[in-house]
Amino acid sequence: MSSRAFAYRAAAERRLIYALVIVLAILIMLPFIWLVLMSLKTNDDIFAFPPKLFFTPTLDNYAGLWASSFRYSFLNSAVVSISSTLLALVVGVPGAYALSRIALKHEKSLSLIILASRMAPPIAFTIPYFLAYRWLGLLDTRIGLVLIYLTFNISLVVWLMRSFFDACPRSLEEAAWVDGASLWQGFTRIILPLSGPGVAATAILCFVYSWNDFFFALILTRNQAMTSPVAVVNFMNYEGWEWGKIAAGGTMVMLPVLIFSVLVRRYLIQGMMTGAVKG
Amino acid sequence: MPENGTRKTIEAARLHRRQLLAVTLAGLAGTAVGFKVSPVRGQAKKFAGLTITGAAFQSTYHEYLKTYLPEFEAETGMKVDFQQQAFPVYNQRMDLELSTKGSAYDFCNLTFIYSGRWVGANWFTPLNEFVTDANKTPPDWDAEDFVAGTTQHLKNAKGEIFAFPWEAGAMLMAAARGDLIEKASLGMPTTFDELMKVCEATNGKEGVAAYVTDRLHHWNFIPYLMGFGGKVFRNPPDDLMPAFDTAEGARAADYFARLLAEMSPPGVMSFTDDQAMRAQMSGRANIRTNAITWLTALVKHQESKVAKTSRFALMPVGPAGNFPGSNSHGFGIPAGAKNKEAAWAFITWAVSKKTIERIVKEKGYGAVCRRSVITSDYFTQSLTLNGDSVAPLYLQVLELGGKTGYMKYRTVPVYPQVGDKINKAIERIATKQQKAPEALAQAKDEAIADLKKAGIQL
Amino acid sequence: MPRLARPLPVATTLTVRHEHPTRGAAGRERLAPERQRFYWRMLMPALAVLFAVTVAPTLFLLVTSLTPLDLTKPETTADFRAPLRNFALLLEDRRFLNSLWVQAKLSFWTVSLQLLIGLGFALLLHMRSTLLQALRTVFLIPMVLPPIVVAIIWKVIYTPDISPFHWAIQAIGFNMPALITHADWALTAIIIADTWEWFPFTMLMILAALQMMPEEHVDAARVDGANAWQLTWFVTLPYLRGVLLVAGLFRLIDSIKAFPLIYILTDGGPGSLTEVTNYYGFIQAFNFSFIGYSSAITVVLVTFTVLLSWLTLRLVGWGRYVE
Repeated sequence: MSSRAFAYRAAAERRLIYALVIVLAILIMLPFIWLVLMSLKTNDDIFAFPPKLFFTPTLDNYAGLWASSFRYSFLNSAVVSISSTLLALVVGVPGAYALSRIALKHEKSLSLIILASRMAPPIAFTIPYFLAYRWLGLLDTRIGLVLIYLTFNISLVVWLMRSFFDACPRSLEEAAWVDGASLWQGFTRIILPLSGPGVAATAILCFVYSWNDFFFALILTRNQAMTSPVAVVNFMNYEGWEWGKIAAGGTMVMLPVLIFSVLVRRYLIQGMMTGAVKG
Repeated sequence: MPENGTRKTIEAARLHRRQLLAVTLAGLAGTAVGFKVSPVRGQAKKFAGLTITGAAFQSTYHEYLKTYLPEFEAETGMKVDFQQQAFPVYNQRMDLELSTKGSAYDFCNLTFIYSGRWVGANWFTPLNEFVTDANKTPPDWDAEDFVAGTTQHLKNAKGEIFAFPWEAGAMLMAAARGDLIEKASLGMPTTFDELMKVCEATNGKEGVAAYVTDRLHHWNFIPYLMGFGGKVFRNPPDDLMPAFDTAEGARAADYFARLLAEMSPPGVMSFTDDQAMRAQMSGRANIRTNAITWLTALVKHQESKVAKTSRFALMPVGPAGNFPGSNSHGFGIPAGAKNKEAAWAFITWAVSKKTIERIVKEKGYGAVCRRSVITSDYFTQSLTLNGDSVAPLYLQVLELGGKTGYMKYRTVPVYPQVGDKINKAIERIATKQQKAPEALAQAKDEAIADLKKAGIQL
Repeated sequence: MPRLARPLPVATTLTVRHEHPTRGAAGRERLAPERQRFYWRMLMPALAVLFAVTVAPTLFLLVTSLTPLDLTKPETTADFRAPLRNFALLLEDRRFLNSLWVQAKLSFWTVSLQLLIGLGFALLLHMRSTLLQALRTVFLIPMVLPPIVVAIIWKVIYTPDISPFHWAIQAIGFNMPALITHADWALTAIIIADTWEWFPFTMLMILAALQMMPEEHVDAARVDGANAWQLTWFVTLPYLRGVLLVAGLFRLIDSIKAFPLIYILTDGGPGSLTEVTNYYGFIQAFNFSFIGYSSAITVVLVTFTVLLSWLTLRLVGWGRYVE
């Protein structure tokens, strides 16, 4: 086969692949787009068959939602997600570094605990936490949520950051120690700055997982500390079954995390891939 | 419509101000003569700055109540955060919340099927003290005005009362498209056989499903079960051996499953109360047998498209008799509530004679529990819908429940668990996973297992 | 058929950075006591928090599973008279055994489909092109959406009155019943929604591995005259074995957590056709408040999780860099 024919075929192949991928992308996005469109339709338009592709959009559904206590749930979501992420980082990053450097006897068991706690079904923690919070009065509090989110956040931080620190050669901080830096300074001045991307990826994942949580918030909150995923479900049963408002609620809940994820997608993907495979 | 409402609100406000003036004058006069005056009316803004939180399952009554809430808030100075969820969701969350004896809610709904459980576990505040305290209760409260049958299970054996009812859910039948039935040269069905005939004749005509219901089969199905001669328990509340796996039970289940599978809109098995009502209101479904609260809205709700074509009647009678469901739900105060006085003020307003009268007159609500309202003229008038006089039907069903006590199965503390098994059995039968006798037998086994877990001796 | 001159490296690990240290054959060096103490002080808080937050509650869960704890009866909290009673009841509980079967079906189908579809997309997108790079972001979306919003999206798709899917089928002339209340289709409906949500995860993993694939092998095979199909089957797939396995395991463990979809779409129904084990546990604990019994169900789930995690770690490496 001549090389020119080979190249030509490759070009046609490329166009075919492009076309295929674009069609697939549209198909995959269709359910998502449909929800967003529905949030802008009036009730009559929603039920209209055949569906109107051109319709006058309305913001009424959003207005109704924003005026309600739905707004407050966003604040809760933001506060709890950010707090839990910060707490997990503050405790977990030094721990991950130490774990990476230390000689530990029961290391395998620790790895197992870390992975298992990330992977355990939420109900495994919800039952004991519910009983404990009942007694401690932490039900329906933001602190309560921040604490239970640590079950997956801190494992995530330790898991990801350890593999990251493993990749940092010891020679780096050893050089710093030789130069007279203290043990702690070796960590803060040399290693930590290097780990910026890793910390970013980890923080992003923690935030996204915390924001998206549904089960913990469903059981452990009532009205004070309700986060937005629970608020939208609450809302579904509250105003009666009005699809426009339900669609608007769903769109509002996903918008922050969606925009955020798209902006930081490189770090997000990096974090997910690292966490998935490396030990 | 909006102007009407504003006008009425202004009128009502004027009425309130006049009343306030009258009472204050009377109070002053009374004090001058030495009578004790109820400070509730005399002191406006008693609860200034306070916010109380309450919850109930979603129902038309609460929708209507919320339209009057601003007046109550203006009068007392408190803010009321009144939350609602669908029936099963509300019950689950409130059950959990009450078990913690928490203070998240100051008032909440005492659901019929949970009354045995919640009252029995002392999760609600006894209200007798509040009722007898003239400082806390307005003089026209009249606790005895509530029909006995509707307050029975809101009390415990000692006679302490824990909630006051806002709804008596008497089961009736409503057809959103009565005109379709007439077109088929039939009348509103009076027996189970006639109901099936009407459904067969009208199903699918003009794109309308003949029947609709919600997925709470443990409420909707039981009247059919009993109408065919079946039972839930052998002899509640003493003998709780499940007794629905008989031949009659299977016949009833097959009948009901056929209504669900063949005569209802697609997806009916996942409908909530509200979805079923909206299916009727938008003219997509015809007949429903359920509590009157969900039925009068067909004529009175502003979004209803079937106001002119709706017809009402008693639930059809089965071969073994007539057992339309009846229950009642009340507003109560959780044991751990922080603002009990304010909550009580809300309750005395929410189900006061005046408020109920307003809701009946202005919104056409029918499921009231106060005898003075039920026997009044305006009630009968308000509940005459498209020529059908619904008020006497309502009373009839209320009294029927009291007579033979066939509703006792519902107040057994373990009913939520047993009801869930019945729910699942009907789902399996209607989706053809199992035949009726098999499904009911499985439900019985599961119910027995749960009864044992709850420590009940069978 | 082209034969390969030398075996391919199997992609079992992905590297984030292209340089990495190699540890000496001895593995760990003996650390100076001062340094050891330093590391311990850094590690202690993390360990303490980890134990307090995960291990202690799990032990609490285990203890609770030995009691018949029922929230309406506070006296059952410390009732240890028949500690294994809940587990004995589990063995006879048909609904529990059904839930295990449903879970097995759900896990099998979702993992298989996610791997297949992820693989397909990854192969398609594996090309140096800015357009495809941009489109990758689009495919990321289902995975980062809050799962509850995914459930709402699919609730809309599966409701006949408002679904473009149903309308499309109707337009062709077929009459499709409501899937989520149909005995034959309810579980499939959930599987479809779940696959839509998570295929980007496997796709990204496989894509990352593909991008590490050494060019020489592909070029060598091409020169030998292999066509696209042979290339995929004999060169690419064997290379991806490791990633597929790990991705599959991760998705498998994650599939045990399935909750929002079932909660919004079917509530375990119709009947118990979509009632997976953790959903059954949820109902027992938070609908009926049989906390003791539900703890027993959860203990079974946690045991599975730990076993699968252990299996994953054995395959991937226990935490030190594996080349």
